[in-house]
Amino acid sequence: MEKKLEAKVLLVDDEEEFIKTLAQRLEMRGLKVTGATRGEEAVNLVDKQNYDAIVIDLAMPGMDGLETLKRIKESHPDAEIIMLSGQGTVKSGIEAMKLGAEDFLEKPVNMQELLEKIDEMKTKRILVLEKQSMAEIDHILKTKSW
Amino acid sequence: MNALPGFLHKILPDTFKDSINFGLHRRSYSQFRLLLFLVMIAIAMGPVIMTAGLGYYNYKDLLQKEERGQLEARLTGSSHAIEALIDSLKSVVVFVARKNRYVELTTGKNLEELFARIKRQYEYFADLGVINQSGIQQTYWGPYDLEGTDYSKEEWFKEVIDKGVYISHVYTGYRHVPHFAIAVANHDPTTKKTWVLRATIDAVTLQNFVNTIKTNASDDLFLVDDAGYLQTSSENYGQNLTQLVADIKPGLQQGVSKEGENIFYAKGKIKNTPWSVILVEKRYVHHQDWVTFRSRLLIIVIACLVINLLVVYGLVTMLTNLIRKADEMQLTMLQEAEHTDKLASIGRLAAGVGHEINNPLAIINQKTGLAEDLILISPDFEHKKAIEGCLKVIDQSVERCKAITHRLLGFARRADVHDEVLQVNDVIKEVMQFLENSLMHSRIRLELQLQEDLPLITSDHLQLQQIFLNIINNAIDAIGKDGLVNIMTHLVAGEVRVVIQDNGSGIDSEILPHIFEPFFTTKETGKGTGLGLSITYGLVKKLGGDITVRSHVGQGTAFTITLPIHSEEHDNN
Repeated sequence: MEKKLEAKVLLVDDEEEFIKTLAQRLEMRGLKVTGATRGEEAVNLVDKQNYDAIVIDLAMPGMDGLETLKRIKESHPDAEIIMLSGQGTVKSGIEAMKLGAEDFLEKPVNMQELLEKIDEMKTKRILVLEKQSMAEIDHILKTKSW
Repeated sequence: MNALPGFLHKILPDTFKDSINFGLHRRSYSQFRLLLFLVMIAIAMGPVIMTAGLGYYNYKDLLQKEERGQLEARLTGSSHAIEALIDSLKSVVVFVARKNRYVELTTGKNLEELFARIKRQYEYFADLGVINQSGIQQTYWGPYDLEGTDYSKEEWFKEVIDKGVYISHVYTGYRHVPHFAIAVANHDPTTKKTWVLRATIDAVTLQNFVNTIKTNASDDLFLVDDAGYLQTSSENYGQNLTQLVADIKPGLQQGVSKEGENIFYAKGKIKNTPWSVILVEKRYVHHQDWVTFRSRLLIIVIACLVINLLVVYGLVTMLTNLIRKADEMQLTMLQEAEHTDKLASIGRLAAGVGHEINNPLAIINQKTGLAEDLILISPDFEHKKAIEGCLKVIDQSVERCKAITHRLLGFARRADVHDEVLQVNDVIKEVMQFLENSLMHSRIRLELQLQEDLPLITSDHLQLQQIFLNIINNAIDAIGKDGLVNIMTHLVAGEVRVVIQDNGSGIDSEILPHIFEPFFTTKETGKGTGLGLSITYGLVKKLGGDITVRSHVGQGTAFTITLPIHSEEHDNN
């Protein structure tokens, strides 16, 4: 196995078997994976915990991928989201990007590709977090009188 | 669908109903044409025949009236002429039998002298006789010795005493020569007695006279007495003094002769005589006019008929052809629409299937991935290599499935068209560059007949490439080895037409209508997905174009792609 990648990932797909297998494979590579089979469940999970990357399937019964993406982005604008689709249309891809998705992958998922994307996002997120903490430190430095 | 009004439905024979049913279907055009032809001829010829018939009967009527009038006039003329003749003869006798001449005439040779004098003037006087009141012939001059004959019992004697004048029938008498008598009675003032002068006249007089007033040689004119005996000879109705066989009533009659000719009979009583005149006219006076009129009418009607037939035939043929063409066009359009519809629904189905299959595929893909991961981290075990091989094949198969669903979705998906202005000839040349190796390998000759001044069109470059690539690939597959691919471009009716032709195996006419349907393939299993042409079809339609195919088994196949020059004609669905 390649280098260990440590990241917290949320998988959202209506196919339980798919999540289970993918989660197992990702965990073997050292990632912490949480699964959700419904859009609402995913939104709740994101509210409770921060994830380095969220992978959402476009086509789901009930609340669909785009709707879930919208809801998560509303409460967590900094969430890093990858959309998954069986139906690789440019149109839904563009729609997802417009709504703030970071990337777009086609099913069946190539493991290598997915890992790279997650890695990318984690790095990005760390940068963002670093920037945030820097800003916070700055803020503290400026506001607190030493 | 039944567009016929009820009454038409009842009176029309079943075979015709089909042809005037306005619904869209294959109708019997020959029947339709026949029906239309008959109706139009009836409409055209009806008035002509009616007018002709009206004219015919009117003219016939008019001629007959005219004929009758003429006949009547001639009948009156004839009877008047005969009347005048008889009158003149009578007046001679009356003049001779002056009242007081009884004594003079009964004495000496006075009667003989009188007869001689009359005979000089009127040679047909046969004899003269003077009869006294009691009916005894006193004197007689003539060829017989009739002096002293007693006539007192005779009918004519009674009548002459009664009426004063008597004209007898024609009879043969003693001499066996037809003659008739005129008797005049007078009252002699000196003897105070009535006496009678009787003159016998040769019937030839009548015959001659009748012959002179008979104008037309074809006519018959003769006299007949009240008992029906002919008084003068007739040409067709017997000699004089024979009984008239034909039943001729007074007045005007019409009949038909043995020869089939129209005949007019006319009978008129002659005043103060026992005779009637009979006029028989064999044919009309206006016969010639009638014949001319009839033949002219016939010519006109026949000419009308011929002209009508020609014009109506031409019109009906034209109309039928027009209707047939319109029907065919409509049917073709319907069929095309149906075909397009079918392909569209197959496309939707394909998209649904493709999408549904993607999910289980993803699971299989993940499961094999997991299995591979697990094998990677486990120590060597029995059959490890074999299992790894199996997983690899499963992976490959999943890839293949993925490719299929991809193309399926591609067929159904209406990806956006990226319009640019391009030259179709250039696109074809580019595609041929891709295929150069493949052509060389299969020893296939390429013939390009590209119209140099082809206008630039607005279309999607990549999709056009895909279209040409698909079709030329198919052509190469159809040829196998050694053959010819011919590509032509030209401008037709404001559109660019690309014809890609091969001399390969050709497509069976049975499967030709299905070649654009998804999953329809003739290649062996695994070699083709059956999606190439359906995707091509979808792409061409998306670009607002059209694709058609002509093929003959053993001779080759030609695909014709028609592309609009301007992008606004693109299908925006």
